[in-house]
Amino acid sequence: MESVNAQVRPQCSRCNSFRGDAKELELLLPGLTSLSSAYASVRSDDGICVRHDRFVGAGSYCADFSPASMRSPQPSSK
Amino acid sequence: MSSVSETTTTLETKGASGTWREIWLKEDWWAIWIGLGTVIVAYIFFVNGSSIKWLAVTPAKWSDLSALGAHFAANYLRYIAQFIVFLAVFTFALSALGHRARDFIPSFIILYVLSVAIFALGQWDKASTYNLEPPLVALVVGLILANFAGLPRWLDSGFRVEFYIKTGIVLLGATLPFTLIIWAGPVAILQASIVSLVTFAVIYWVATRLGLDKRLAATLGAGGAVCGVSAAIAIAGAVGAKKEYAPIAITTVIIWAVAMIFVLPQLAYYLHLPAGVGGAWIGTSEFADAAGFAAAETFNRLSGGDTAGSGNQAVIAYTLIKVIGRDVWIGIWAFVLAIVATTQWERVESGRKPEAVEIWRRFPKFIIGFLVASLFLTFVTTRYSLADYNKTVVPTLVGPIKDLRTWAFIFCFLSIGLTTRFRDLASAGRKPFLAFSAGAIVNVIIGFILSAVVFAAHWENLGH
Repeated sequence: MESVNAQVRPQCSRCNSFRGDAKELELLLPGLTSLSSAYASVRSDDGICVRHDRFVGAGSYCADFSPASMRSPQPSSK
Repeated sequence: MSSVSETTTTLETKGASGTWREIWLKEDWWAIWIGLGTVIVAYIFFVNGSSIKWLAVTPAKWSDLSALGAHFAANYLRYIAQFIVFLAVFTFALSALGHRARDFIPSFIILYVLSVAIFALGQWDKASTYNLEPPLVALVVGLILANFAGLPRWLDSGFRVEFYIKTGIVLLGATLPFTLIIWAGPVAILQASIVSLVTFAVIYWVATRLGLDKRLAATLGAGGAVCGVSAAIAIAGAVGAKKEYAPIAITTVIIWAVAMIFVLPQLAYYLHLPAGVGGAWIGTSEFADAAGFAAAETFNRLSGGDTAGSGNQAVIAYTLIKVIGRDVWIGIWAFVLAIVATTQWERVESGRKPEAVEIWRRFPKFIIGFLVASLFLTFVTTRYSLADYNKTVVPTLVGPIKDLRTWAFIFCFLSIGLTTRFRDLASAGRKPFLAFSAGAIVNVIIGFILSAVVFAAHWENLGH
């Protein structure tokens, strides 16, 4: 893995609002483990965006990206 | 919508190592390691004149309790050794996946003890008379314990439905000739594709006519047409579905899948369907691999398929339709629907175009293990005549692998019940349930026509 220190394209998997941990997803989705699993290949790296309440791919992004490594981004309103 | 102020961030890029990490972070890959590892170990023992049969102990047929007791008294060391090997292998794998060993170990102890009891019950010579088929008993016992006994949630660590069924499917591959997969595969793909496309179309059309969101319609459609809850999750991610859509689809699939476990085998038996035909019908009618295997195994026993020499045709037909005919295509479904969602439906700002590589990322990798196991066993046993194969290979190589597969399946069936807590399930909602049901009914009808009429001769002669 290489570290990149630059203006980089935001990514859901690095966002504060992304929940992609398999264990956490199984808690967030009741009944999932009855006939499936968050550890399955079919899920790929998808997770839940708790800000927009949607399923998103780990590589997706949006204008509301808030890096998980920074706790106090300062969004500017439109 | 607010805009994020641009910041310089130190980030790590996801390189090739992210992809490689999957081989110990996904259940599919662990099913491959354990399944293929078991096959290789079994083969090593076999070529050295020995067998893993001692470890692959199963309860013997019995007619009175004293006989059963004598069996356990004579073989208790084998059961202890088997339990230790299962525990060690599964604990290692599930710890690598992120589960806590201190949660998994007591949970698996419970699972194993219950499985021994259910397996033994299934070997009673009156079990079929009283409809005590092990998959059904396992499911009912699990449901009762999960919904009335107040099992603590941390025990779920050991009740890993998908982990066990995928491992079992890889082992199942070792017991199927690869030539059979090649011969029967195209028909399975054709039949399953017809049913899947029609089922998806019906669910999607009814759902959107009822005013449901397209993304919910697609999530439900995939759940009914491809591979149940797993497909629903995959499509939910692919199309950017709202978070609440997945639980709706999960609940709907579970209700139908559990009901079908009980209904389909009885219906197939009542209609006097040949084993292969019934198995194929279950393959197109059931929604989840685990539930479908429970139904197929039950029907297999009802139709006398578990007797020696019968060939297990119901399970084989089911596997070909469900695993080869439906499961393998989930990546393509996800890719296509992602394109449709991003280009045709209401735009959700995701900043990412669908990539064809998603077809591989979402591919159910355990199927690779299934195919490799089949290819390997077929290759190494090709020099045996049929008579020698039945006399030598089956009792010492294929037979023990099949027995271990049966254990994996029983672990899975019990786990389905033990993890299905009805009061935790989200409300399915009347409209989603109606849309899904419309597709399920069409699915069953078309599946029956294709299995029992159009391709009946093919499925009846499976393996002959």
